[in-house]
This record gives sequence, C-alpha cells and structure tokens, in this order.
Amino acid sequence: MARSVWKGPFVDAYVLKKAEASRESGRNEVIKIWSRRSTILPQFVGLTFGVYNGRKHIPVNVSEDMIGQKFGEYSPTRTYLGHAADKKAKRK
Amino acid sequence: MSDKICVGAVAGAFGVQGEVRLKSFTADPEAIADYAPLTTEDGEQSFDLQITRAIPQGFAVRLTGVRSKEEADALKGTRLFAPRDRLPSLPDDEYYHADLIGLAVYDTGGVELGHVKAVLNHGASDLLEVATAGQSATILLPFTLAVVPTVDLAAGRIVTDPPEGLFD
Repeated sequence: MARSVWKGPFVDAYVLKKAEASRESGRNEVIKIWSRRSTILPQFVGLTFGVYNGRKHIPVNVSEDMIGQKFGEYSPTRTYLGHAADKKAKRK
Repeated sequence: MSDKICVGAVAGAFGVQGEVRLKSFTADPEAIADYAPLTTEDGEQSFDLQITRAIPQGFAVRLTGVRSKEEADALKGTRLFAPRDRLPSLPDDEYYHADLIGLAVYDTGGVELGHVKAVLNHGASDLLEVATAGQSATILLPFTLAVVPTVDLAAGRIVTDPPEGLFD
C-alpha cells in the first residue's frame, strides 16, 4: 500500500540537517548518509550524497528526475560488473 | 587503450545443426552482429555470424566454418573480439567504457591517485571506480565535469578534482 499523502514524504531528520549545512557552506563535498529509506526532496538537487550500501558509501549526484525516489535505489547492495564492450559513459 | 574489445562469448552448442549459444556483452545485445567478423583473442580464427533466434541468456547463432555440434562444442568458452576502430565515434563528453578503463588518475596538483578499474552506473550519474596504489579498497568518483574536468585519452590520463571526503 502506498504511503498516505497527508503524511508527506519521509526523510530522516539528520539527512535534512546535513544537506542544509552543506548547502549553506557551499563546499564541494560528499554528504555521507546511512539513511537509504529517506525520500529525495527538491532541496537536495545538485548535492552529492554518499549513500551507504552496507559496505561503502556510493556517491549519488542528485538531479531533478530523482525527486520522490529513495536514496537506497541508487546504491545497490549487490554488484554485477558485466563487460565493458561498447557501453558508453557520459560526463554531465 | 586496447586495440581489441571483447563483445561476446560462446557458451556452447545449440542443437545438433552446428549452431552456437552466444552471450552478447554489447549495450544493445543484437548489435554484436554489427561488429562482425569477430576474432578469437589470439586472432587466429575469424567468424562472420548470423543470429538465427533469441534464446534465454543470449542468441542462437550460426558462425562461418562451424557446421557440426562437435565443432560448436569445441568453441565453448571462446571469447569473441572486435577491433576497437570498428566502434562508431562519439560526441564530446561521451566515452566508451573500454577507453576509460585503465587510464591513470591524477589530482589537480599532478599527484597520481590510481587508475580506473571499472565504470559503473547505478541509475544516477556514471561512476569511475578508481583503484588506488597499495590499497585493496576502491574509490568511486562521480563522472561529472566538476569532478573530472580533464579526460585525455591520448595521454592516457584523467585529472580529477574530488569532492572533500572522497579519498578519506
């Protein structure tokens, strides 16, 4: 069952605090968080979070199309590397 | 930069008519046929290929010169390579994973930090996995203009301006 709308999105309080502090300082840093359950909010866009996957913090650059998803979705707990072949990477 | 790229592997025979079971490693699995003829790692054998059908975990493929199940079975485990220059050229700021893997990583002060071990994408931006000298743990660098301002494929190096706390 989906979460009730009247409750609003769930975010751990410490994530909000850390994000706000980082935005105010204006420093280029990775905000280390362990809260995979927190929802990505519009005020997180442009920040880089290090989302814990049980082993290490995976850097996640938050963009607009990620709003409403959970941080954990971008930090997989199992790794499959696969082959490079003709796969491409784009520098944004 | 390697001059050959592994684009697939033979997983064994398919049926008794000399077809093989082919695993494709390309981004679009069917695009493996575009890179034919493919060679073995040592370059001794070369194959044209024709995809006959899609099967679970790959394709049933007819390779030139393979006519029986025994010949197909003999190729089991063979990795198939395409020349690097057969890949189409890309626009600015887009790179093949195969070109990025192995590049040396330097910081803006000119200190070597390690080399690129893999390129990952977990749904956000692309990430460069950097293996640092003398450490088993790897570092993940977001592949963005801010963090990786310079990619010099000719010189085989990347210059990075990592965010604070990434190399701690």
